Amino acid sequence: MSTAHLIAVGSSPLGKTDLPGRDLFSKALAEAFEELPDPADVVDGLYVGAQSERYENQIMQGTLMAEWAGLRNVPAERVEACAAAGALALKNAVRDVRAGVHDAVLACGVEKMTAGGTEGATNALGAAFERALEQRSGITAPATYALLARRYLHETDATERDLAKIAVKNHRNAADNPRAMFQQAVDIETAMDAPDVAPPLKLYDCAPVTDGAAAVVVANDEVAAELQRRSDAVRVAGIGSAANNLAVAERDLTFVEGANVAASTAYEDAGVDAADVDVAEVHDAFTVCEALLAEAAEFAPKGRGIETVEDPEDRSAGWTDVRINTSGGLKARGHPIGATGLLQAVEAYEQLTGRAGERQVADADTALLINEGGVADAHTVATVLTATDGGA
Amino acid sequence: MTDTDSTTTGPLGPDDITADSPFTLPGFFDALAEGRLVAARCTECDTQMLPPRPACYGCGSRAVTLSEQPRTGEVISYTSVNRPPSAFEHLAPITVAVVELDSSARLTGRVEASLEDVAIGDRVELRIDDPETVDIDPDFDLSYEEEWPAHVFELL
Repeated sequence: MSTAHLIAVGSSPLGKTDLPGRDLFSKALAEAFEELPDPADVVDGLYVGAQSERYENQIMQGTLMAEWAGLRNVPAERVEACAAAGALALKNAVRDVRAGVHDAVLACGVEKMTAGGTEGATNALGAAFERALEQRSGITAPATYALLARRYLHETDATERDLAKIAVKNHRNAADNPRAMFQQAVDIETAMDAPDVAPPLKLYDCAPVTDGAAAVVVANDEVAAELQRRSDAVRVAGIGSAANNLAVAERDLTFVEGANVAASTAYEDAGVDAADVDVAEVHDAFTVCEALLAEAAEFAPKGRGIETVEDPEDRSAGWTDVRINTSGGLKARGHPIGATGLLQAVEAYEQLTGRAGERQVADADTALLINEGGVADAHTVATVLTATDGGA
Repeated sequence: MTDTDSTTTGPLGPDDITADSPFTLPGFFDALAEGRLVAARCTECDTQMLPPRPACYGCGSRAVTLSEQPRTGEVISYTSVNRPPSAFEHLAPITVAVVELDSSARLTGRVEASLEDVAIGDRVELRIDDPETVDIDPDFDLSYEEEWPAHVFELL
C-alpha cells in the first residue's frame, strides 16, 4: 500500500460572491497548482464533493470540473453525503492512491449556495433530512440541530451562553485567517442578543450560507517526492467513515456515535490516540456540534465538550490539549457545503506545514478532521493528517 | 403495542414488498390514514422502527415484524422552526419535537402548541390529519405522497 500525501491545497474566496460554482472551482484550482505543472500532468482522476444540483441546476459535476482542470479521459466523479461530500472526495482520492489505482488524484468540493437566496438554500438543505416523517414535519437544518442542542443543555450543565462562547472563539480564530468569510471577532453579548433561529440556537450558533470551493492534490510517495520539498507535504495517516441513521429521531441526540466510530477508525488506521492530536477541525455547522464532536473524538469527557473554548490548562480533567477550529470553523471561516471537508484539510495543511500565520499552533504535527453530513453524524468522515518533517 | 395480525416476519421475500404492506411507505401511510401507526419491530433485539423497514439498524437482523404502536409518548427534545421551508411558511413558527412513544419507538413531528408551553418530558398524543387540513403547498408533495395523511402531536 502506498502512502497518500497532500501536496498542494487551494481555496476560493468564501462568502457571497459573483462567481458561479465552476469559476469558484477555478480559483481554488489555480491556487493549488500555482507551483505545480498542469493538472493533466499530475493527477489521474478527480472526485468532487457537491451537495445539491438545486443551486445551479447542474449535475455531472465530475465531468465539468475535470474539463475546467484540463483533464480528459480520466475517472471524474461527484460524491454526495450532504455536508460530508468534501471529505468523501478526499477519502476516495486517498483510497485510490493507497491502493495504487492512481498515482495522484484531485479532491475538490464546490457549492454555490447563494444562487437561490435563503429560501433556495433552506429547501436544498432540507433534502438531506428523512423525507417521510421529518421533512413532512417542516423541519430545517437549524431546527434539527436545535433538537440536539436542547437535549444537550438538558442532560449537561451547559448553558446557551456556553454555546455562544464557541461562536465567539471561532470568530476570534477567523479574524486571523485570510481565507475566512468573517474575519472579525464578535463579543458574547452580541451573540447572546442575536435573534432566535430555532431555540435554543440563535443566529451566531449557526454557520452561514456560503459560496466557495476548495481543491487538494493527493499523491503517492513518488509523485510527492518529485513535486514537493519534503516540508511541504502532509501525510494522510488515517481515515475512517461511517453512516448512522438518517432520521434524527432515531439517533442518540447527545452522543454522535457515527462520528465516534469514524474517528476511532481513523485513529486506529493512523496508529495514534486522541491525546496525540494537536489541532482539530471539527464540523461546527452549529455550535453544539463542536461540543458533541469534542466528546465523540475523545478529546473531552462526556458533557464537557463546551470547554473547547478554554485554553488547555483551564480545561477539566480528562481533556486533551488539542486546539479546535483554528480556522474559525464552519461558523466563521464559512460553510460552502460540498467544499467544507476540504477547507478543513486546507487548514490542517497550513498548520502542519507552518503556514498558519497568526493562528499557528506551535509544534503542531498531528491533525484530526471531522466532516459530517445530514443532521450531525448521519454520515461522518474522519481523517488524521501528520506533518512529514516532524512538525511545524 | 401488539404485533399486527397475519404479520410477516423477515427476512422479507420479494413478494412481501408490495404497496399494500406497511413495510413500504404507501402501505405505512395507508395504515396511518386508517388510524394505525405501524412500526417494524426487530424480533432479535426489540428495536422499533418508524417508518417500517426490512432490516434492523440496532443489530442488523432482517428478522423484523410489524408492530402497531401506541399513540402516546413523551417529548425527548423540541424546538421551533421560525423560518420553515417555503411549503410550510404559513404554519410558522412550527413547534417540532422528537417524541418517544410508550413502545420506545421514536419519531419527529409537529406539536400543536406554542414553544413556551412545551417541555422535555411532557406527555403527548399523536393525531392524524387529512393532508387537506394541513394545507401544505401541493407543490411540496411528490405525486405518490398526495393522499398521505399528516401526523401531529397534541399535549396531554
